[in-house]
Amino acid sequence: MTFSDEMLMAYADGELDAAARSAIEAAMASDPQIARRVAQHSALRNRFRSAFDRILDEPVPPRLLMPASGVTGTVRGKVVPLRQPRQWAWPQWTAIAASLIVGVIVGGLAMLRARAPDVVAMTGGQALAAGSLAHALSDQLAGSRSSASSVGIGVSFRSKSGQFCRTFVLRQPAALAGLACRAPQGWQIGVLARTELAGGNSGGYRQAASAMPPAVIAAVGNQTAGEPLDARAEAAARARHWQP
Amino acid sequence: MGSSGEDLRGCIIELLPRLRRFARSLARNAHDADDLVQITAERALARAAQFRPDHSVASWLFGILRNAWIDEGRSSRRRRESLLEPEDLADRIGAVAAGTDPELLCLQDALSRLPEEQRLAVALVLVEGFSYKEAASIMGVPVGTLTSRLARGREALQSMLSDTPGVPS
Repeated sequence: MTFSDEMLMAYADGELDAAARSAIEAAMASDPQIARRVAQHSALRNRFRSAFDRILDEPVPPRLLMPASGVTGTVRGKVVPLRQPRQWAWPQWTAIAASLIVGVIVGGLAMLRARAPDVVAMTGGQALAAGSLAHALSDQLAGSRSSASSVGIGVSFRSKSGQFCRTFVLRQPAALAGLACRAPQGWQIGVLARTELAGGNSGGYRQAASAMPPAVIAAVGNQTAGEPLDARAEAAARARHWQP
Repeated sequence: MGSSGEDLRGCIIELLPRLRRFARSLARNAHDADDLVQITAERALARAAQFRPDHSVASWLFGILRNAWIDEGRSSRRRRESLLEPEDLADRIGAVAAGTDPELLCLQDALSRLPEEQRLAVALVLVEGFSYKEAASIMGVPVGTLTSRLARGREALQSMLSDTPGVPS
């Protein structure tokens, strides 16, 4: 029995019913050419999947979370050339966020103690980053992902009072995202919120989903004095230990 | 917008990582890809009333993104047949510079050489993992059409990528 290449492809993609599957498996066992062709189809699929899957781990840029979080954009249902910058300006964003409370641990201190006892320390009524979170805030550059530390740094910027602030996402011990600003005593956590780690039966969203919860974005918008630091400015800030 | 609008927002936020991945298989430039995602979110919210809850939100959103790419991408895609632009980190708030991953670049490059319809078929099935039926419905074509586009796209990719590691030949 011969099989079309489309049929072998469909087998590799898991599209065939049980009868067709076993017919192909029998053919693969006796004909190395067929086995090789199926392997090529699977290899291509796996190759695409694994290369593009990394995009799921990137923090979602805040500008994409804004329309979805209910902030109305200036462009709606209108066709706009892609080359036109579509980012919301920070000042607009700040105005929108101004009504939101900043300096909160979303979910309360109990949540914090239960979920992140090793990375957040309460000192004099303030939440300070500790352990791997403190290290990541001091050492990691934005966008870098350290699988060892399980902390992702999103964006760095200067606050209105001149401090350096950075957003972060924690994967361990719990899925949390927040904003920390550098104070003399350490990294003060201004906001910390749970992020949803949607389960991924289809190799789905994994830890990337909602890397920046709306509460964190609102806090960034409320505190930022301007544009986020670019890579160079960020490296320079790190070099002087985030001192203003 | 009532509670269905709220639900839709939640769904969009949840699907953003996947929409970004899909967009990156259509637009090589990460910024352009995120523009497509933003357009998708805006259009979906503007048309929330058209969404039928018995339908898959994912298929609906991927369909909107596909249409946005077709509507708005053509002219800029033509302009962009040049080399990839240098990474501009400041331009992409907080995004990991995954565009610098040579393997991803290589695959994006190969995809960009496929005809539009083959590229969509490959992106939906190989990158996004949709079933043939779902991918066909997103593209608005019969399953047979999807299958032959996918087969041709794959064949072209295999010959383009055969001298690079990853695919036994």
